[in-house]
Amino acid sequence: MKTLDQTSSLFWLLVSILVFAESLRIGIGTFQNPGMGFMTLGASGILGILSLVLFLQAFLRKEHGRHKPLFAGTLWRRVLFVVLVLTVYARVMPILGYLITTFVLMTLLFGILEKKRMGCVSVYALGATLFTYLAFSKWLNCQFPQGLFGF
Amino acid sequence: MDFFDSIIYGFQVTFQPINFLFCGAGVLVGTLVGVLPGIGPAGAMALLLPATFKFSSTSTIILLAGIYYGVQYGGSTTSILVKIPGEASSVMTCIDGHQMARQGRAGPALGIAAWGSFIAGTIANIGLMLVAIPLAHAALKLGPPEYFALMCTGLIIVTYLAQGSVLKAIMMGLVGIILGSIGLDLISGFPRFTFGINELTDGVGIVPLVMGLFGISEILENLEGSLEREVFKTRIKNLWPSLKDWMEAKWAIVRGSVIGFLLGVLPGGGAVIATFVAYAVEKKVSKDPEKFGKGAIEGVAGPESANNAAAGSSLIPLLSLGIPPNPIMAIFFSALIIHGIQPGPLLIRQHPDLFWGLVASLYLGNGLLLILNLPLIGIWIKVLEIPYKILFPMILLFCIIGVYSMNNLSFDLYVMLFFGVVGWVMRKFGYEGAPLILAFVLGPMLENALRQSLLISQGSFLIFFTRPISAVALGFAFLLLLTTLLPHFKKRRQQYERFKE
Repeated sequence: MKTLDQTSSLFWLLVSILVFAESLRIGIGTFQNPGMGFMTLGASGILGILSLVLFLQAFLRKEHGRHKPLFAGTLWRRVLFVVLVLTVYARVMPILGYLITTFVLMTLLFGILEKKRMGCVSVYALGATLFTYLAFSKWLNCQFPQGLFGF
Repeated sequence: MDFFDSIIYGFQVTFQPINFLFCGAGVLVGTLVGVLPGIGPAGAMALLLPATFKFSSTSTIILLAGIYYGVQYGGSTTSILVKIPGEASSVMTCIDGHQMARQGRAGPALGIAAWGSFIAGTIANIGLMLVAIPLAHAALKLGPPEYFALMCTGLIIVTYLAQGSVLKAIMMGLVGIILGSIGLDLISGFPRFTFGINELTDGVGIVPLVMGLFGISEILENLEGSLEREVFKTRIKNLWPSLKDWMEAKWAIVRGSVIGFLLGVLPGGGAVIATFVAYAVEKKVSKDPEKFGKGAIEGVAGPESANNAAAGSSLIPLLSLGIPPNPIMAIFFSALIIHGIQPGPLLIRQHPDLFWGLVASLYLGNGLLLILNLPLIGIWIKVLEIPYKILFPMILLFCIIGVYSMNNLSFDLYVMLFFGVVGWVMRKFGYEGAPLILAFVLGPMLENALRQSLLISQGSFLIFFTRPISAVALGFAFLLLLTTLLPHFKKRRQQYERFKE
């Protein structure tokens, strides 16, 4: 936890410095007439101080035993795959439309853990796509992108 | 309208077909969400919010309230049968509830959880009616300094009650305030922190933020590990607790209801804290504390009553002061704003249909939970048996639809994904999302109150200490902060003394 706290505190320190600088740029005004950077300047200032406190706390803390790597023993590749697939989905959905992209997305997501029975995976994906399309687009009037093919 | 006319009016509103339907749908969806570990009440509310745009604000709030207290109920089923809390507010139920199930007493455990929830929900509802109106009248006398102080206190309490490090919770609150300031400045009308991205001019949306931090991050965390879970196979019988069960649990229900009600009203309080306190109190007052952890029915009745009472009473600060006391109420707050209603002291007077309709729907919903859910327990068990490999793509898809249909923008999906990854990493580094969400919603109000206060006082911060309510609230917040720091200083001093010796 010591290393994790030190790393995260440095990250928040960086964030606080950036926000502090931007607050000064957009104008903090005066006490009589606070500007739009006034509140964020205060918040980022305190965040910066607390980040330093966290860093020092972690630095001075004694920890017994070896630090376990953050992703050791986890299936992080699966997570990375899902994040990538969702990013591509967000990019492609307005172009190809809801039905096609969602079917592909669901096939990939169902397929992550069920690689052997691709027939079942396709049926699940088709069912999920059609069900959500009918429920949200037809009954609840949510607007989905139609894309190049008009559906 | 006098008090009883108002209640009758409330029931007239609730029994309108659409509101009745929304109440039933809310408690069912809430129970489902509570049963399934993964999406959470905040995520479920955010998901359904876009679908309510074409309905009235009253129907929307009735639906959201149904989800909230339905979740409290549903979480107990998973806790008792699987020993996995469906929601954070059901953690304490796992301890004795699952032991009861292992001893063949899953029926009475589920039964007393349901009855405790019903009784506590009803008590909280009566409290809501009695407290909210006088509090709203009193709140009309509050000005920007008092609001600033109350919101600060609320944020400090949330961080103080954080499950992990208080320091990290305060940092998350500050990050929430900074995130809440993205978009147009309320006073000057100029954009800030938008980095030239047009979609950020309206600020970061609450729905993508909540879905990302709570929904997506939870899924990513689950995907990292083993997805197998074991449902305890048992025949559910005797859902009606025996006379002996009732005698053992009756005071636990009463105490849980009172504790839940009081902690729910407090800014920063809520269902989760209430269950921990209720369990601790039950163990403390019990003549036989050793039986806790081995299947004590009081260990189920107390926390289950507390979480439902807290769910009802946390509506009080939102409806009478316009201050959401916890992240779930922050979603309620956003829903009201989206529907063009400003939560605050004038809400009850200007929108009696909403307030009294909501109050009546709480009675109705509590009854529906009891009538529908005990017979449906078999269905919830079947739902629990759905493999996660089928569940998680569906939850992801619902998150995508919920976020996209808010503004029909792909940009919101990127925001959700971004905060999903941020939330996942935050969990690994021991940071909590709840203070961030609450501060995100309170941030713009907090800033407005601060700037108005300074304008009134011509730049003097003394305005916060010369007005009694704000002085007391800030003093209380300061004391809380001090109590978190004192043990740290004491420990350091002891270390120093040892070193000197």
